[in-house]
Amino acid sequence: MFKFDEICELIRLVASTGVAALEVDHGGSKLRIDGVPPVVVADPSAGGAMVAAAPRPAAEPAAGSLEALAAADEGLHWVTSPIVGTFYRAPNPDAEPYVKVGDIVREGQTLCIVEAMKLMNEIECEVAGTVVKVLPDNAQPVEYGERLFAIRPA
Amino acid sequence: MFGKVLIANRGEIAVRVIAACRELGVATVAVHSEADRECLHVKLADQSVCIGPAPSEGSYLNVSSVIAAAQITGAEAIHPGYGFLAENAHFAEVIRESGLAFIGPTPDAIRLMGNKAQARRSVAAAQVPVVPGSERSLGSRDEALDVARVIGYPVILKASAGGGGRGMRLANGDAELKVAFDTARSEAEKAFGDDSVYLEKYLVRPRHIEFQVLADSRGRVIHLGERECSIQRRHQKVIEESPSVALTPELRSEMGHAAVAAARAAKYLNAGTVEFLLAEDGSYYFMEMNTRIQVEHPVTELVTGVDLVKEQLRIAAGEPMSIPKRRQVVATGHAIEFRINAEDPATFAPSPGKITHLSLPGGPGVRVDTHLYSGYTIPSHYDSLMAKLLVWGEDRDEAIVRGRRALEMFRVEGVKTSIPLHLKILDEEDFRAGRLSTHFMDRFMV
Repeated sequence: MFKFDEICELIRLVASTGVAALEVDHGGSKLRIDGVPPVVVADPSAGGAMVAAAPRPAAEPAAGSLEALAAADEGLHWVTSPIVGTFYRAPNPDAEPYVKVGDIVREGQTLCIVEAMKLMNEIECEVAGTVVKVLPDNAQPVEYGERLFAIRPA
Repeated sequence: MFGKVLIANRGEIAVRVIAACRELGVATVAVHSEADRECLHVKLADQSVCIGPAPSEGSYLNVSSVIAAAQITGAEAIHPGYGFLAENAHFAEVIRESGLAFIGPTPDAIRLMGNKAQARRSVAAAQVPVVPGSERSLGSRDEALDVARVIGYPVILKASAGGGGRGMRLANGDAELKVAFDTARSEAEKAFGDDSVYLEKYLVRPRHIEFQVLADSRGRVIHLGERECSIQRRHQKVIEESPSVALTPELRSEMGHAAVAAARAAKYLNAGTVEFLLAEDGSYYFMEMNTRIQVEHPVTELVTGVDLVKEQLRIAAGEPMSIPKRRQVVATGHAIEFRINAEDPATFAPSPGKITHLSLPGGPGVRVDTHLYSGYTIPSHYDSLMAKLLVWGEDRDEAIVRGRRALEMFRVEGVKTSIPLHLKILDEEDFRAGRLSTHFMDRFMV
């Protein structure tokens, strides 16, 4: 299932990059976001049919709230996963999470663990600031480059 | 059979493995670098995992990332394709230790065949001919002369520490060898900091002939005939075909048995290729064994009807190969593969970029293995192979005619391709007559 945050994130990505469409398959839930249709210049020599994607209103929340969200994200620092593995918020199942939303963190502070091949890799914060978002669920698999935390720099 | 397989590769071979998995009802996991998000294998696999940045050291060559991707997706086995980690014994070992299956040979077989000297010793012990030579570094000029007189001229001196042509010197007689010995030593010293050299018989116009083998866990080892791969440029094959016009049924049978013996000597499992040099007088010598599926494997598939990648999956899952026992694999007709690279056909410089238009040839006897699609951008980080065009004909002449028309119908816009080079090769009288050797491509070099 997609979280609201994630959907907003993807919509912003489509809007900012100008791609025609984005399809995501996440654990069986599928989502397609179409951007502004590109101007199609017919090329008679090319032969192949070109179809401009039509916008699908279902995946688009009200524009007003989107803009507000985009503005709120400006200036955020994203901590991404440097490796493929399993995301853990705490050093062990009984312990408190390393950080929670709202916590003030310093540069070099451990934010989480990404486990790969039984090795626990502590992921450190690259900037000082406040934790605004924690994106993956505990024990969820993460890819290389996947966003883990949003930090508002101090 | 496995429920889910991870493919530790990209491009056309990843797509090829996905095709085999689908036909066997096996779910697939693609891995990819940040530069390959739009690559076809990522779109076709059931799941995909980004494992690292564009440079392959951080992604496709990163052992722990690949295995972690298998673990988080619940894959039971890993297919390495060719290149990248395919012949890395350590990778095969860690996969096993992680409780996964490696779709390929054992780490020991990879290690043995990866070491040239050890491979040579082990196959020679199994009565497989190897290129006659000094085997060890030569202590003196006199020793070099003694060895050369026994094996016969011409001979070639090679740096023990080397490769890549440096420290290599050819000699046609005693006088030349005396001079060449000193030059080769000083060249080796300069290039590798080690002046030891060894000597081998030099084959004047050899053909590159390789045999496909399959071995399963029930102890069965078979060969599936040869591929002639003499048309190569800097050891990169350009065109491959099967059968080779140079092999009589007797020689094919003899070399096939030698290939099986070489595989048995390594206690080989799964698909592999035994490479030989074939001299003009019909003598042949073991060169090396490639312990993986090869780029040119579809040539064999077209003439034998055996799906080699599906056999690889069956063998890795502990099943016997599906080829009926006591039935010789029979090759029918003639197959040719043209490697279509994104490169300048005259200078061979790579030509990455966006494919603005693509139209693939089809029709009788044509197969295209590719990861290309219209709008795809070929990244500059990886090799330039963009498609393999394969043709099958009743005989070599039909395959050549079909190859020509398929090359002409192969339309790519946006990047330069080696298609014009292939058409030029088809025009060569030597090619049409089957007069091939590993020096064939010299005529096109600037």
